[in-house]
Amino acid sequence: MLQRILIANRGEIALRVIRSAREMGLETVAIYSDWDARALHTRMAHIAVPLGGTAPRDTYLRVDKVLAAAKQTGAQAIHPGYGFLSENAEFARAVRDAGLVWIGPPAEAIEAMGDKIRSRRRMKDADVPVVPGLVEPVDDAAAVKKHAAEIGYPVMIKASAGGGGKGLRICRDPSQIETAFRTASGEALASFGDGRVYLERYLDEPRHIEVQVMFDNHGNGVHYGVRECSIQRRHQKLIEECPSVVIDAKTRDAMGEVALRAGRAVGYQNAGTVEFLWSKGQFYFLEMNTRLQVEHPVTEMVTGIDLVREQIRVARGEKLGYGQDAVRWNGWAIEVRINAEDPKQKFIPSTGTIRNLRMPGGPFVRLDLGMYREMEVGVDYDPMLGKLIVWGATRQEAIERMCRALQEINVGGVRTSLPAALTVLEHPRFRSGDFDTHFLEGLDLSKGTTEFVDLVSAAAAVYRHHKARRRALATDSDGRGAWVARSRQEIAQHSARAGRAGGDA
Amino acid sequence: MKYFVTVNGAVREVSVIERLGQVEVSVDGKPFEMSYNEVDDLGQVIVLHAGKSYALSLEGDSNEVAATLAGHRYDVSLEDERERAAHAAERASGKVGGIVKAVMPGVVVDVLVTKGQTVAKGDSLLILSAMKMQNEIGAPTDGVVQEIHVSAGQTVSAGVKLVTLTPTATAATT
Repeated sequence: MLQRILIANRGEIALRVIRSAREMGLETVAIYSDWDARALHTRMAHIAVPLGGTAPRDTYLRVDKVLAAAKQTGAQAIHPGYGFLSENAEFARAVRDAGLVWIGPPAEAIEAMGDKIRSRRRMKDADVPVVPGLVEPVDDAAAVKKHAAEIGYPVMIKASAGGGGKGLRICRDPSQIETAFRTASGEALASFGDGRVYLERYLDEPRHIEVQVMFDNHGNGVHYGVRECSIQRRHQKLIEECPSVVIDAKTRDAMGEVALRAGRAVGYQNAGTVEFLWSKGQFYFLEMNTRLQVEHPVTEMVTGIDLVREQIRVARGEKLGYGQDAVRWNGWAIEVRINAEDPKQKFIPSTGTIRNLRMPGGPFVRLDLGMYREMEVGVDYDPMLGKLIVWGATRQEAIERMCRALQEINVGGVRTSLPAALTVLEHPRFRSGDFDTHFLEGLDLSKGTTEFVDLVSAAAAVYRHHKARRRALATDSDGRGAWVARSRQEIAQHSARAGRAGGDA
Repeated sequence: MKYFVTVNGAVREVSVIERLGQVEVSVDGKPFEMSYNEVDDLGQVIVLHAGKSYALSLEGDSNEVAATLAGHRYDVSLEDERERAAHAAERASGKVGGIVKAVMPGVVVDVLVTKGQTVAKGDSLLILSAMKMQNEIGAPTDGVVQEIHVSAGQTVSAGVKLVTLTPTATAATT
């Protein structure tokens, strides 16, 4: 009897799993790095085990430490979340070998889909449509150039073992191959220890459409329909929706069937996502993500199905217990990722300490967050701080609701991708459904709005005025400083600046 | 006190005068009637103006303030008259420009140029790895590489000088 689950992850996805597990009456074990000692997942789990260390390679990526934590706490199953060890077949195997339940697909399926070159071959054999391109990896720039000429420009260089946008480069002519190959291969080597790449034709006006599937261990499988994730930059998704404006019921069913065929071809079990590129009415297999995905909540909101619960159920040997006919789609859901990035500077990472947090609420608004007040956002972990998800009866209603929620939310201390999401949601082209995966990169987000410039300039001037006044009082005498004292640190800053800013008072 | 305020690129002159505990504000010479109340000490502020309520978030120091209003971010820089004069002098003496800095913390993977090399705007100067991505850092302008401040393998934090370029226009006149 499965009673205790260890979550081999951090951030919002660790919380996501903890929540479903608690609702199922299961106990949860969190693991945490030194930096995550105060993190939400550490606080919310029944048991928390320190891993010791800070960098991912010393903590969340350490198979031995994770397994030791499971043994020490008597956890009977491991949920890997996404990222970290979730698509590491050796880890999946090690979990099984340790006599634990792996809440994910079989190691063999991870391997078959994890290598993009092998998976393409498998998919071709299973009659799943794939994008024209190479089936063999290449490992030098000259070979890339030769094959690119055969496939035809533009071509995309993809890391053989890539994922999450790493190791991807687009080349529009041969002159770009040299640098593109070097950086793509270098990234793949650094992230995955495999510098081989393959090439494929780059499609025009492509849209990213994916199908959520779930298989039990008894040969039953269903799909939960499509998600559209075309709003992305550097191949990293920013806004996802369920369903998609370009996919009608007939196409959805057809894509669902193909996705199930793809899964069956590799003996898939548990939750997975088959990603397709959709271009002008045709769809092509891109890759299969052999794990739960970041954007899974939009599917949950529209189908009413808790995907983590289903994952746990089938992992402990239960049958799905329903067929495709039981899956129904109601309304529209949109998710916005909250990333610590600066959209004004091409989404470069932003670091800082989160202080000023204001969260949205109201009907059909869901927050899956990993961030908390006083959290330090560094560069060692993923920049995603959480996700904002809304549901509406129609796409339009969901868009209006998301705009409203984005106007309510405030994340202070770091720059976030949220203003970019709002700009997209307010854009007529997004609203009309006329967009592709290049849409976001084509927007000029560098300037920011000037709608309330007078008000903001007045408020900022008064803010400085009050700050200067408090500072003058704080440095006057200790006694009088008490009523304005924020923190020792701020007083120290004030003292340090007092000379320069004295003129303000 | 008079401030020169730049908000997402737009410039306003704002004066703030305190009389008997009441703050009087004018923007570009016109009185700007407002009530300003700090909700907490984290940066939540309510501004009432012309019968409407604005829930702002303000954070930063005296010179750089980030304002968030209705989901949009306003990057604000403030100068008083003395600071404005000092900054103008700095700009005139050419202290600004030509230096390529790291805009994010990361590791220098590869330096693609050498000292003295002529580069065109957009040419890759070096590759910076950050957040597990490798980013090509391009030349902001045509110029000659005057100095390389980093080497491959070096960890840099945001704001660190990477390369100093002598812009071609300047190089030609000197």
